[in-house]
Amino acid sequence: MIRVQTAPFDAGAEQAALTAQRRDIGAVVSFTGLVRDFNERPEVSALTLEHYPGMTERALADIVAEAESRWPLNGVRLIHRVGRLAPGDPIVLVVVASAHRLAAFEACHFIMDYLKTRAPFWKKEHTAQGDYWVAERTTDHDAARRWEAS
Amino acid sequence: MSLTHLNARGEAHMVDVGDKPVSQREAVASGRIYMQAATLARLEAGGMPKGDVLATARIAGIQAAKRTHELIPLCHALALTKVSIDFHLDAAAGCVEVRTLCRLAGRTGVEMEALTATSVACLTLYDMCKAVDKDMVIGDVRLESKRGGKSGDYRRPEAEEAPTPLVTAEAAGIGMAARPAQPCIQVKCLAELRERLGVGEVAVLVDELPSNDVAGLKAALTARDARFALLGEQRVLCAVNQVMSGEQAQLTDGDEVAFFPPVTGG
Repeated sequence: MIRVQTAPFDAGAEQAALTAQRRDIGAVVSFTGLVRDFNERPEVSALTLEHYPGMTERALADIVAEAESRWPLNGVRLIHRVGRLAPGDPIVLVVVASAHRLAAFEACHFIMDYLKTRAPFWKKEHTAQGDYWVAERTTDHDAARRWEAS
Repeated sequence: MSLTHLNARGEAHMVDVGDKPVSQREAVASGRIYMQAATLARLEAGGMPKGDVLATARIAGIQAAKRTHELIPLCHALALTKVSIDFHLDAAAGCVEVRTLCRLAGRTGVEMEALTATSVACLTLYDMCKAVDKDMVIGDVRLESKRGGKSGDYRRPEAEEAPTPLVTAEAAGIGMAARPAQPCIQVKCLAELRERLGVGEVAVLVDELPSNDVAGLKAALTARDARFALLGEQRVLCAVNQVMSGEQAQLTDGDEVAFFPPVTGG
C-alpha cells in the first residue's frame, strides 16, 4: 500500500494494520524519516515538499514491485508526506514484513535508497536567512548503486 | 448605495467634508510586484545597479501619499500624521509585497493615499530593477483594511489559505496551460527549475520541433526563449509521460514532458 499525503501518519497504527490477522509474518522492519532542524544551513524552521502527482505514485509502486521481486515479502506500507513540514515532523514511513528478518531489513533499506534517488520529490528548506532548494547528495546515489552491483 | 463623487446630475464633484466630524482614520493597502527568482535574490543581496532599491521605493511611496490629491482628481489634500511602508520579499511567490499604512485625524478617509503610495512604491521598484528584469508584473493592489469615519471599519475578508502548491503549474507566471487545437507537447517545469525559469507549464507545437524527441523539444524551447538553455544543464532530468527518459526519447502529439532537478525526497 502506497500513499502520498499532507496529513501526518501513525507508524504504530500502520504496522498494526500490516500485520493484523497474519500468522505467517516473522519480521517487521519499519523506517521513519523525520525533518531535521539543520541541514545545508543551521536553524531550518520548516521545509516544503513538492512532488509530481501521478509520476510519484507510479515511481513508488515500481520501487515496491522491485523490492518484492528481490525478496520474499509479506507486505509493504510506504507513506510519503508532501506540503509544509516543521522540524520533528515525520516525512516518510516504510514498513516491510517478511517471514525472516534478513529480507525485511534489506528490503526496507533498499526501498529507502531507491526512493531517495528515483521518486520525484523535492525539498525546499526555510531558514531565517532565506529559503533554498536542497541539493542532491552523492552519498544517496552511492547508497542506491550498491543494490545494483549485487 | 450612491457614489459620493457624483452629484444629483451625475456630474463629478468634490464632496464637502466640512460638516463631517474629525475622527482618527487609518487605512492599510497592499500590492505586489512579481519578478524572476534571480532578480529577487539580487534585490535581497543589495546588488541592483541603481543602489538601495527598498529605501528608494519607501521614500517614493511616502512622497506619493502626500501628493495623492494632485493625482486623483476629486481627492482632498490631507495632513497625514503617519505613512509607513513595509516590504516583504516572498521567494515562494516570486514577488515583493508592499504594505502601506496611512493615518490621520481628519474628515475624510485615507485609503486613496495608501493605495497611491503602494502603487508608486511598486512603480519605483520596477524602475530600480528594470535594468536586470523587464518582465516584472505589478498587481494585486488593494485595500486591506480601513478604520474610522462614517462608513465604518472595513477589513478585506481573509482569503482561504491556499494549500501548498504540489504541482505548481498554475502558480507559474508565464506560459500557456490551455491546449491548442494543433498537435502539441505539454511541458511542465518542476521545483527549483520552475522557479529559475519562471515557467511552470507551456505547450509546444509538434511543428516547432526540429526533431521529434526530447533534444528537439529543448531546442524548440530555447529558440522561443533563451532562458530555456538551462534545460541543457547536465543535472536537469526529464520524464516523458511520467517515466524517466533521455534525450532520444521520441515525442508525439499529446505527450507530457516534465523537466526537473535531481530528486531530494525521503
